Amino acid sequence: MGIKTRVSLDSRLSPSHPEFFERMKPQSPKGSFVRYMLGKGGKRKFDEHEDGLEGKIMSPCDGPSKVSYTLQRQTIFNISLMKLYNHRPLTEPSLQKTVLINNMLRRIQEELKQEGSLRPVFTPSSQPTTEPSDSYREAPPAFSHLASPSAHPCDLGSTTPLEACLTPASLLEDDDTFCTPQAMQPAAPTKLSPPALPPEKDSFSSALDEIEELCPTSTSTEAAAAATDSAKGTSSEAGAQKPEGPQESRADDSKLMDSLPGNFEIMTSTGFLTDLTLDDILFADIDTSMYDFDPCTSASGTASKMAPVSADDLLKTLAPYSSQPVAPSQPFKMDLTELDHIMEVLVGS
Amino acid sequence: RLAEAANAGPVGGVERDASVRGDSPSASTHTPPRARAPRLSPGALPRAPGSTPCDQRPGILAPRPPSAPGAAPRAPHPRSGRSLLGAPPRPPARAGSRARRRRRRSGRRARPPAAARRTPVAVAACGAAHGPAAGLASPRAPAPRPPPRARAHAPLLFCQLTAPPPRPAAPAADQGSWCLCQLNGAADLEVSEADIISTVEFNHTGELLATGDKGGRVVIFQREPESKNAPHSQGEYDVYSTFQSHEPEFDYLKSLEIEEKINKIKWLPQQNAAHSLLSTNDKTIKLWKITERDKRPEGYNLKDEEGKLKDLSTVTSLQVPVLKPMDLMVEVSPRRIFANGHTYHINSISVNSDCETYMSADDLRINLWHLAITDRSFNIVDIKPANMEDLTEVITASEFHPHHCNLFVYSSSKGSLRLCDMRAAALCDKHSKLFEEPEDPSNRSFFSEIISSVSDVKFSHSGRYMLTRDYLTVKVWDLNMEARPIETYQVHDYLRSKLCSLYENDCIFDKFECAWNGSDSVIMTGAYNNFFRMFDRNTKRDVTLEASRESSKPRAVLKPRRVCVGGKRRRDDISVDSLDFTKKILHTAWHPAENIIAIAATNNLYIFQDKVNSEMH
Repeated sequence: MGIKTRVSLDSRLSPSHPEFFERMKPQSPKGSFVRYMLGKGGKRKFDEHEDGLEGKIMSPCDGPSKVSYTLQRQTIFNISLMKLYNHRPLTEPSLQKTVLINNMLRRIQEELKQEGSLRPVFTPSSQPTTEPSDSYREAPPAFSHLASPSAHPCDLGSTTPLEACLTPASLLEDDDTFCTPQAMQPAAPTKLSPPALPPEKDSFSSALDEIEELCPTSTSTEAAAAATDSAKGTSSEAGAQKPEGPQESRADDSKLMDSLPGNFEIMTSTGFLTDLTLDDILFADIDTSMYDFDPCTSASGTASKMAPVSADDLLKTLAPYSSQPVAPSQPFKMDLTELDHIMEVLVGS
Repeated sequence: RLAEAANAGPVGGVERDASVRGDSPSASTHTPPRARAPRLSPGALPRAPGSTPCDQRPGILAPRPPSAPGAAPRAPHPRSGRSLLGAPPRPPARAGSRARRRRRRSGRRARPPAAARRTPVAVAACGAAHGPAAGLASPRAPAPRPPPRARAHAPLLFCQLTAPPPRPAAPAADQGSWCLCQLNGAADLEVSEADIISTVEFNHTGELLATGDKGGRVVIFQREPESKNAPHSQGEYDVYSTFQSHEPEFDYLKSLEIEEKINKIKWLPQQNAAHSLLSTNDKTIKLWKITERDKRPEGYNLKDEEGKLKDLSTVTSLQVPVLKPMDLMVEVSPRRIFANGHTYHINSISVNSDCETYMSADDLRINLWHLAITDRSFNIVDIKPANMEDLTEVITASEFHPHHCNLFVYSSSKGSLRLCDMRAAALCDKHSKLFEEPEDPSNRSFFSEIISSVSDVKFSHSGRYMLTRDYLTVKVWDLNMEARPIETYQVHDYLRSKLCSLYENDCIFDKFECAWNGSDSVIMTGAYNNFFRMFDRNTKRDVTLEASRESSKPRAVLKPRRVCVGGKRRRDDISVDSLDFTKKILHTAWHPAENIIAIAATNNLYIFQDKVNSEMH
């Protein structure tokens, strides 16, 4: 795998080079597989939602470069988070499933930390085109020690504490240039975001939004996530061709590194008795602030730059959301009281 | 929504009616009012006569006898009787905040207060099941022809497509020539959740076959003795008894429902005329005894035919009661209830070869029980970390060694097997052997751990090997080699490229089971699209077969199916993209001695027989 990865650095543009997550790519007309499965799947209830996910899943898979790996990773991360809340109400979620999903989240986070430790190496601006890939290149090896997360490799230097991964403020400001006003309108007001933070969405406020959106209308979140992914997918593809591309994806990634006080760890406090609830193992040590869920780039802006491969599907999947962004779907069956509690804690802190 | 309402209408109506006039003739003719739920009367229906060859029957869907109690396809669906099931109405004081949180079912069933809850309900359920079981066992013998309506899996029709393949002129022998022997289940497009079969198990002789479903019911099939007149009916399994094993419960402490779904059934070795089996849902294991009665005493001195006391003045002479033959009745009664032993969900049970103990495994612990003692069990494995945040691994399955009563194995969600020896310590936290395969770096992905999670583990009959199933493969392990499996078979490797989607739609968490044939030479396991796979360990041949109404013509030998991955596609091949992931075969069982297999496909039970190689390979 490592060898393949290195090869891929040079042949990033080739859509068919052997790639780490290439095997996730559908081998047949794009999307038909997923559409079929999701359409038939017993668990999902909302067609629009599914379509959104389809676009979300499949578009990263088509990305030929290393960036597709991170997109894949983020997609999986998002799905995993969703799954943790998506179990049937009143039934105890399968512990096995919860543990497996939780392990997945931990690993991704571990990997992110690993990458984060590399971050300071790069200067925030004027990246050579290959540099983002260089940082990604380290990711698969970090991932390679799946079976024993505790025995994490230190070949990249010791795992740095999370604080070390904080993105320089300059990068945060750079983000603003990409958080255009065109950005997908947040479904919930960001009134809770601290004033000190950038006016545009940062991880903290987006996490808050996320929580709020979990509750009544999450479609817009999904749409937003799909938009983010599509935007990123596009930018990564475009990045290879346009000079400003790398910078854009760079900024995107830097957002991933945001580490802010508010994160899902708070949820840990909602579990009272270990035997009684699974809440306490959820997010026990998952720091979701490593990831952003919200778009900071405009979907409409990037849609025009879309690669021909995925443009059709993406437009198709995004269409329903632009027409009715707040559909009454509710894939996250979270308890309202639980949300209230979380909000209380968040505000209190 | 409209459809729902329409469906709910009659059901609700019936229920209300019944509860209002519970003792009216219509409600009480067949079952006492409290136990009106039709499913509670084990085998209350005349069983299908097994001797009729299927091709003489009218069709797949035999007509429902109008007289069958509660047999209307949907109307008094088993669940509708629930409100009548014991359980005093919940005091209004409790109806407050919790009521809001309870959505399903709660409206239909009054729940007792928390404190009184667990045991009383269990008792009520058992009592109810017991009553009719004892009283209403079905006339088994020459039932008037048709009502082949097995209440088994509710709107389920019992239909036998059994057919007489006059020894077809032979496909490759090692692929077998499996043909459909019979098929139980409704052809409905709409499958009720409760009817989905959740476990299948042959007993030790293969004479009986038990299935459990998500509705908490257990259906036992009995193999018809081979008759000279109708050789084709050989291997035909007829419904022998049906009973409600588990009821849904509500855990008030956790505010969680306890599903009635039967997770596993295990037969006990037969020790006398009666058969016994263990059935379990997520929390509670029950021991059931199945007995037959075909004689009844007649001629009591003090009681008349109906059991009423005679007027003593009419008794003028003494007589000796005699046993008179009568229609065979099958009685099922709960003998033991092993409750409160598990905090997590029970995923497997296994009867020890000493025939006195069994173990039950949940996600984090394994308990050892004595079959006769319900109030205590011994914890033999506990992998629960002190801090649940450190939890990264759970137990997924476990089984006793078939011959050595001190050995058992359990599998984990990280893909390892641990063999434990109970002689070493009371608490087998330290395994004796750890079977683990190093990860193949070329197949590494985000999903490596999930797909390596073992969903089933089975000792071979010989006790020498273990068979494990993970998401994409089945593996055979030699007890003497821990480093890696001696054989690995790909079940559906073409899904490797789809893992992301399978993760997204939760299919990746499906728990496929696996089975050995009687001579340990062939292994079988399920897949998607109603496919199941067989691997011949000697010839290394494998075959994909399909359990479907369309392709399983009674007389025809099952045609091997192929899933094509790339562009080259032969006729009859099915593309990876058109696999139906809602049709999955998770549960399969192989007759302990013959080439008969039982395949649970959603709500249908298929029984296939290899007529050519009817003896062992």
